[in-house]
Amino acid sequence: MATTHRINDLDAKALWLRRQLWDMVMAAKNGHIPSCYSCTEIATALYYGGVVRYTPGKADDPTRDRVVISKGHAAMVLYPILADIGYFDAAELDRFTKPGGLLGMYADLRIPGIEGISGSLGHGLGMGAGFALAARHNDESHRTFVVLGDGECYEGSIWETAMFAAHHKLDNLVAVVDRNALCILGRTEELVALGDLRAKWQAFGWHSVEVDGHSFDGVLGAFDLIGRTGGKPLAIIANTVKGKGISFMEGRSEWHNKMPNAEQMAKARTELGLV
Amino acid sequence: MDAAVKPRLMRDVVIEAICAAARKDKDILFISADLGAVALDDLRRDLPNQFIHAGIAEQHMIDLAAGLALSGKKVFCYAMAPFITARCYEQIKCVISSMNLPVTLIAVGVGLGYDHATLTHFTPEDIACMRALNGIEVLTPSDEVMAAAIVYIALSSPAFRYLRLDRQVFPRLYGDDAMRVLEIGFGIVRPGKDVAILACGALVHKALAAAEILAAQGVSAGVVDIVRVKPFDGAALAGALKGYRSILTVEEQLLEGAMGSAVMEALVDATGKLDWRLKRLGMRDRFEVVNGDRDHLHSLYGIDTPDIVRAAQALANG
Repeated sequence: MATTHRINDLDAKALWLRRQLWDMVMAAKNGHIPSCYSCTEIATALYYGGVVRYTPGKADDPTRDRVVISKGHAAMVLYPILADIGYFDAAELDRFTKPGGLLGMYADLRIPGIEGISGSLGHGLGMGAGFALAARHNDESHRTFVVLGDGECYEGSIWETAMFAAHHKLDNLVAVVDRNALCILGRTEELVALGDLRAKWQAFGWHSVEVDGHSFDGVLGAFDLIGRTGGKPLAIIANTVKGKGISFMEGRSEWHNKMPNAEQMAKARTELGLV
Repeated sequence: MDAAVKPRLMRDVVIEAICAAARKDKDILFISADLGAVALDDLRRDLPNQFIHAGIAEQHMIDLAAGLALSGKKVFCYAMAPFITARCYEQIKCVISSMNLPVTLIAVGVGLGYDHATLTHFTPEDIACMRALNGIEVLTPSDEVMAAAIVYIALSSPAFRYLRLDRQVFPRLYGDDAMRVLEIGFGIVRPGKDVAILACGALVHKALAAAEILAAQGVSAGVVDIVRVKPFDGAALAGALKGYRSILTVEEQLLEGAMGSAVMEALVDATGKLDWRLKRLGMRDRFEVVNGDRDHLHSLYGIDTPDIVRAAQALANG
């Protein structure tokens, strides 16, 4: 489905998104760049890859697909996109975390396009199951996409919902696990091993696939499976690199929410093509 | 008050009312974390699309309820008191409270209701922890009539509420006056002059028994049923207690932050002073866990009828 031309466009969009996020975080001196950069292609594919159904400028369109960034520290990955599709004034991006501004470090219902509050891990999938079940109940065709952190999968509530969603055959629910293999204190497999997440989601009754989370071919190919899972909810284990795009941040847990010094800032801006 | 009709379990009355409303409104959803009731069988059988078994998974139940409420559903979550409060407190705080969602949390067996199950099933802290939540309404019916009145409000104006149901059957205290009492938040179930005994739920009935004994001893004790502990109209209570010299609160809770605390806070906030002799009865920190029925536990923890009588006498004679 994804043509080369289209993927080039998406690559450009992903770079645009990384630049926007960089400027917001550096201006605010607040935010989680590496966590956003590991799911940048996922967010880009959702909104610009023809996956999420939405009406530009109309965040409350009842037919819209629901998107939840459950790893709330990366919820801001959506802010530039939501402004870009006309949900709110792009000038809000410059007021990120500022008093009187709309956009906070974590997302909440004040923000058009944000479906639920985030910040504490482990809530997004349960809320997403609620959206999906309500859609089924109302005979509505919208889908729900929940982006989870792999570290978030330590939370037991994720697996409570995983069981529930499979039992209810919520094939209108998609979980994307941003598998960057890092949490704050180090590598997941060294701290408490998450193991084979694809197999775990499959064992919980989901149709589960594993893709390169920075490859639009991979991510869009996985989203293409929606509706073709034999009634199962879809889990996409997206293997990613935390801090993707900034060489000195890539795969380094210490950058979770650290601000770069002047020299690092210059290097990052060069790598992002901002200078 | 119709004494001829046999009193019923609060939960059956509440679930029947929800079921009746749900037959007319498909947006009413009832989620259970594996707790049943006689009345629930009808709802499960007749409205299978409006009954959801969450699994024994209270954290998931609350997040799911949030998603459903955000989708326009009127959601009732139902579980044993300890498991619908402390077990999923962070979920309630983060997704229900913080987004002010119209979800009613129905707890069964509050306080020491699950007497023989002991500590894991007790909720000696549920009033304190739940009333600490932003935007919540905390309600404790002391009879099935008040339980029905509360569920009527919950159905007609959905909001974030915590409904504390007892698992015992109690004699009726209310009739047509229930709705009016609910509006104020407390009801004077026995008038008096000397000591006002404030209680909620099961202990209202022990307070009434104590007031009877006190009357025989020459002490006029009134009994006030604290139905809604949050939000609380301190000025209205201060007005209602104006003629009393003393206030005694009694509850199946640890004293820290519970109903007695809420009452004192509200009176201070409303009047800037406390013009009464005061005593709070409740469970003391580091209470012991023992086998025995609820009456035995009340006696052990100093909140049984004779304890209320003694405390009221001490206030009256002080």
